[in-house]
This record gives sequence, structure tokens and C-alpha cells, in this order.
Amino acid sequence: MGHSDGFTQHPIEQAVAQTAPPAPAMDVWGDPANFRPAPAGPGGAADDEAHGAGGGNTELYQRIGHLTRTLHNALRELGLHESLADARDHLPDARDRLAYIARVTGEAAEKVLNAVDRARTVQDMLAGGAKGLESRWAAVALYADGGAERATPAGCELIGDTRSFLRSIDEQAVQTNAILTEIMMAQDFHDLTGQVIRKVVALSQELEEQLVHLLIDATPPEQRRRIEPARLEGPVVDAGQRTDVVTDQAGVDDLLASLGF
Amino acid sequence: MSSEPRFLIVDDFSTMRRIIRNLLKEIGYANAEEAEDGVAALSMLRATKFDFVVSDINMPNMDGFALLKQVRADETLKGLPFLMVTAEAKKEDIVNAAQNGANGYIVKPFTKATLEEKVQKIMKQHA
Repeated sequence: MGHSDGFTQHPIEQAVAQTAPPAPAMDVWGDPANFRPAPAGPGGAADDEAHGAGGGNTELYQRIGHLTRTLHNALRELGLHESLADARDHLPDARDRLAYIARVTGEAAEKVLNAVDRARTVQDMLAGGAKGLESRWAAVALYADGGAERATPAGCELIGDTRSFLRSIDEQAVQTNAILTEIMMAQDFHDLTGQVIRKVVALSQELEEQLVHLLIDATPPEQRRRIEPARLEGPVVDAGQRTDVVTDQAGVDDLLASLGF
Repeated sequence: MSSEPRFLIVDDFSTMRRIIRNLLKEIGYANAEEAEDGVAALSMLRATKFDFVVSDINMPNMDGFALLKQVRADETLKGLPFLMVTAEAKKEDIVNAAQNGANGYIVKPFTKATLEEKVQKIMKQHA
């Protein structure tokens, strides 16, 4: 068969360059005639060899010829299969979409952090203002305590309520700041999801390269170069099914303590 | 260590750098600068004095492990407190960090209380 000729005329690098934008699988493969197995019929190489080897081997050679034909068809089908080519063609688009998600979620997280910062500033101003007013009302309360002619009972009660309210603003500001911290901390999703997206993008890049190689070389799937996982994995997304990872900070602390740290 | 320790926050995600910076401020450490990877961090550490490093692991150009090794191998930086804050939860990575001289290890997502506890603990050790 003419496979080797077809491959040497289309080095992988050259073919990859030629397939951007992706070319139809047939163009990558070259002339399909190169892949046609030797005919099993009269005059064909298989036929000659079968006769030369004796009639007892005819069936064997026919089977080999049949297998060769089947294999060739399967490989050709694999190379021309639209879904395979489509999968390869759609990977860049999938990566772009993931990058878009990473960018938009990142921008959203930044907006939230900006809003938290602004809210903190407003909250601090409110608390500071309330504190200043409360100290002034304290002086008024001291004066009002001097006698009935200085303030009516209702006035004294109002002064007390106002001071109480102003003090509560300071306490509520502390609570609000704690809530703002929670909102800020929740934005760490961008880091965590971003790392996962980055890993998926890298994998899809690998996958695309593999598909291109497959389309070019028509190598059986089991011989495809294995996609080696990156040593640093990023956030664990399947902690429940693994024993080689910790699931929380307590796990980290226990592990370090067991090592004497 | 000076009265106001200077922190270097190393993370390739600006969101996380900002979160850690704000948290440090909340727990009383307002003096902090940021670097987006190990290369930038090492350059800053060699150019200016810092008192504490809070570093991610998984970063481009130079990851947190490489940065830690460079810091520990540098005569002037080797004693610098170094806290890992990372999403890497593999036991192998935690052991690796400890063996290479990290002073603490926090897995993301984490809480303000966890960061405060680890930072204060390391601060005490280096007081």
C-alpha cells in the first residue's frame, strides 16, 4: 500500500500549518488512491502471492485481504468522518468561549470588589459621623441632666434614644463590614474556576493537536500520544473520589503536624 | 521585624491578590505589595526589603515551589517567612512545600480566620 509515501509527502508540522484554518480531512490525507490495498482479484498482488503460496493459503490471504480492506475503510472513515473533523474544528471555538467565561467572571469579580471597597468607605464615613454626633449629644445629655428647666422628660428621652441609635450605627457598621468581607471572600471563585478553565483550555489544546495528528496519520487510537496531566492540578473537583488530596484546611494542618511542622 | 511588616502577595489572579491584600489590611497589616508570578516576586524581593511572602503555587513563568526554592537558596532572603496560599490540595504538594521550607500552607478557598491564624503564628515564630 502507499501509506508511507503519503505520509512522507505530508509531514505533521507542514500539514498542521496547512490546516489552519482546518482543511478537509481528505486534503490532509492526500490522494485516497494511495491507501487502496492491493486488489484481491485476478492480477492483484494478493492474488499472485496467494497462488504462489499454494491453494491451502488462498483462504488465509483472502482473509488478510478482507481485513486489510476493512482496516483501510475504517481508517479512511475515521479520517473523513465528519464528526471527528468537526470536533477538531470546534475546539478553538470552545476555548474561546471558555476564555470569554474566564474574562467576564473576572470582570464581574473585580466589579464586586470595587463595590465592596466603595461600600466600606461609605460605611466607615457613616460610622465615623455617628460617633462624632454621639459625643456631641453626650454633652447635651449632661446639660439636660442639670434640671427640669433645661429639658422636658420627653426631651431627655429623645436625647437618650438618639444617643442609643447613634451607638447602634457603629455596632451595625461592624456587622456590615463582616458581611462585606464575606462578599469579598466569595469572589475567590474567579481564581478557583479560572484555574479549572485554564486547565480545560490546555487539555482542549492537546486534544486538538491529537485530533490533527489522528487525521493526518490515521494512527490507531491506542497509539495516540497520551495527554500527560500537568503536575499541578489546580482546584480539586473530585475530592470525594480521591485519597491523595486533602479536602479542607484541617487536613492540611493534620498532615503538616504529622510531619512535625 | 519592623513595627509595620511589609508583605508581598504573589498570585497570578488579580482578584485573589486583592482579596488577600484586603484581608491582611483587616487583620492589621496594611503594608502590602503584589506580584503576578514568581519571576516578578523574586525581582521585587531582591530589590526591596519585605518581611513576609504570601504566595500561590500554580502560576506561569515561575511557580510558587520554584520561588520558594529560590528564596531559601538566597543568602539574604532565606529566612523570609513564606506562606503558601493555593488551590493545590494534593498531599504530595503540601509535603513538598514543607520540605522546601514553607512556613505555612493554606488551601483555597479559605477564611479570614485561617489566614489570620497562620500569619500570626508565623509572625510569632519570626519575632
